[in-house]
Amino acid sequence: MKCYIDSVVVDSRIPADDIRELIPDALLRRRMSRLLRTAVATAVSCVGGVENIASLDAIITATGWGCLTDSERFLRNMISEDEQLLNPTPFIQSTFNTVGGIIALMGKNHCYNMTYVNRSHSFEDALLDSMIRVADGSSRNLLVGAFDEQTQSQYRIMERMGVFRSQSPGEGSVFVRILSEKSQSSLAQLVRLDFPGNSLNETEVLERYASSSASLLLFNSYRDKGLFPTASAHSFARAVELIRRGESEVVVYNEYLGATPTVSVVQCVG
Amino acid sequence: MGVVVTGVGIVSALGVGVQSNIVSMREGRSGISAHPSILKTGNILPVGELRMTNDELHRLADIPVHKHLSRTALLGIIAAREALADAKAEPSKRIGLVSSTSVGGMDLTEGFFREFMKDDSAGRLRDVRMHDCGAITSAMAHYCGINAYTTTISTACSSAANAVMFGAKLIEHDVVDYVVAGGSDALSAFTLNGFKSLMILDRQACRPFDRSRAGLNLGEGAGYLVLQSDKNSASNYYCRLAGYANRNDAHHQTATSAGGEGAYLAMAEALKLANLSPREVSYINAHGTGTQNNDSAESAAFIRLFGENIPAFSSTKGFTGHTLAAAGGIEAAYSVLSVAKGFLYPNLNFSHPIEEFGLIPNSEFSEGNNIDCVLSNSFGFGGNCSSLVFVR
Repeated sequence: MKCYIDSVVVDSRIPADDIRELIPDALLRRRMSRLLRTAVATAVSCVGGVENIASLDAIITATGWGCLTDSERFLRNMISEDEQLLNPTPFIQSTFNTVGGIIALMGKNHCYNMTYVNRSHSFEDALLDSMIRVADGSSRNLLVGAFDEQTQSQYRIMERMGVFRSQSPGEGSVFVRILSEKSQSSLAQLVRLDFPGNSLNETEVLERYASSSASLLLFNSYRDKGLFPTASAHSFARAVELIRRGESEVVVYNEYLGATPTVSVVQCVG
Repeated sequence: MGVVVTGVGIVSALGVGVQSNIVSMREGRSGISAHPSILKTGNILPVGELRMTNDELHRLADIPVHKHLSRTALLGIIAAREALADAKAEPSKRIGLVSSTSVGGMDLTEGFFREFMKDDSAGRLRDVRMHDCGAITSAMAHYCGINAYTTTISTACSSAANAVMFGAKLIEHDVVDYVVAGGSDALSAFTLNGFKSLMILDRQACRPFDRSRAGLNLGEGAGYLVLQSDKNSASNYYCRLAGYANRNDAHHQTATSAGGEGAYLAMAEALKLANLSPREVSYINAHGTGTQNNDSAESAAFIRLFGENIPAFSSTKGFTGHTLAAAGGIEAAYSVLSVAKGFLYPNLNFSHPIEEFGLIPNSEFSEGNNIDCVLSNSFGFGGNCSSLVFVR
């Protein structure tokens, strides 16, 4: 099982002014929370514009916490308004598959649409689905994305849990375009994905997954982006960037938020 | 290689376990009550609620009450264990879990938030520990002896059908030997008020496919299947999962297109994958929520796909309520039993067909029917439409 990475976009690379172009529908844009706006803009940028959404044959999203701002807004209103006359918009937008649904809607795309919500494995689960779909010929042109947002309440709750004593908080969106075939624009290839049931140290990871001594290891580099469930997607984006700059193989290992580790192996396109 | 179903487990307003669900439907007894009695809410609206407190569910699952699990996890654990025991899953093999939920641990978070809103140092942290969907799956894996790959899917009301679909892929690609796949959702004030704000809750018992239908009743529960490869399973499986499809309506964030485009595409593609023609479908367990929009769109999709020869169909949501992310799991389990035992389920509270379509759902419980192929539909917010095909 392997597939080709054609494009990777990280939200921090999208200037605020561009969001208006990436999400042309002003009404839709205004209703969106910051997370929805950022994640959808990242997705559209990754495929190179709204007009390219139609060509996708799978839209797979991943989020550990989902749309916290909208969930919290509805919850607060429900409590403070004593369950009366509530605005449905935050409820609608609190649904975990909102981003995937909006992307499909913008491109009028009826294709496979899936959302994984599985803590720090969410993004890797979406990658596994992609690799399986490519392997059995179900999909050839896939968009895979991960997003999580930080909110004041979530920060405060996790601070009280003591999570931020050793780590800093974070948030972000990453979208990846995956193709079944090698093309002129292939940046890298994803050759292996694994979910070892227990922790490994750096030596063990390299022994088990590196194909040569030239292999580079990103070990728990999710930390660079701060702690949030889909931070590992940013490690993956970095691995692709390192390949683009000339590395031959990068092994990505992440283990955080109490879950078992995930490993992905990214190689240059030979 | 084919994927077969070797275990089923159900918890719903009809009761705990497959048997009590079937007995209730045989007797025509709905699980919908006039208002919630366990759920803390000021809303007097009909719901399909399991009449057991969280403490009672802990005891039923033989889990100490002080573990303080979310209701969603408890319902899921009880149903998944039934499915695993039914399949006689061997613990030495790789047993994976693909679970879905839309509310996660919201039932506990609601209590926390009431305190937290007044003072951000207040509220018990143990009430938010299980807030995220992945926490539910993780607790289920822990209490159900899952020893291999696990994941969580959340695509609103189509979630569990997608979990079954991805579970099948894991079997086909030899990622696991057994997979427990389905979904769980507890009633919560969050979802009850959410659907109320959308003005799609019926103040009376829901009436799927009836001209007078006025919305859905929310329900709670969990439904799981155990899937295996036909190479590794004994010959006494319930049925085969021959086809599945996930397509998007791409029409509106919450409403379905009038022609039911996504529903049509999902059903047509699932049958194509199963290598079956629409004529070969014996029964459809419809999504049939009882909302104006869904039942019209689904009827239009039936007519487009089946023409004049609409197979027997019914919505079982008049019994269970709409159990959101669990619906596709509970209804997949009903569909599996339909193929295996020849059951046809009644569509409660139907009296007059929708004029535009004239479709009449199955109204009586019957058994011993010759059922070769059942289609199970699940559609949701975000345009998600999924169909599963079970065959003998």
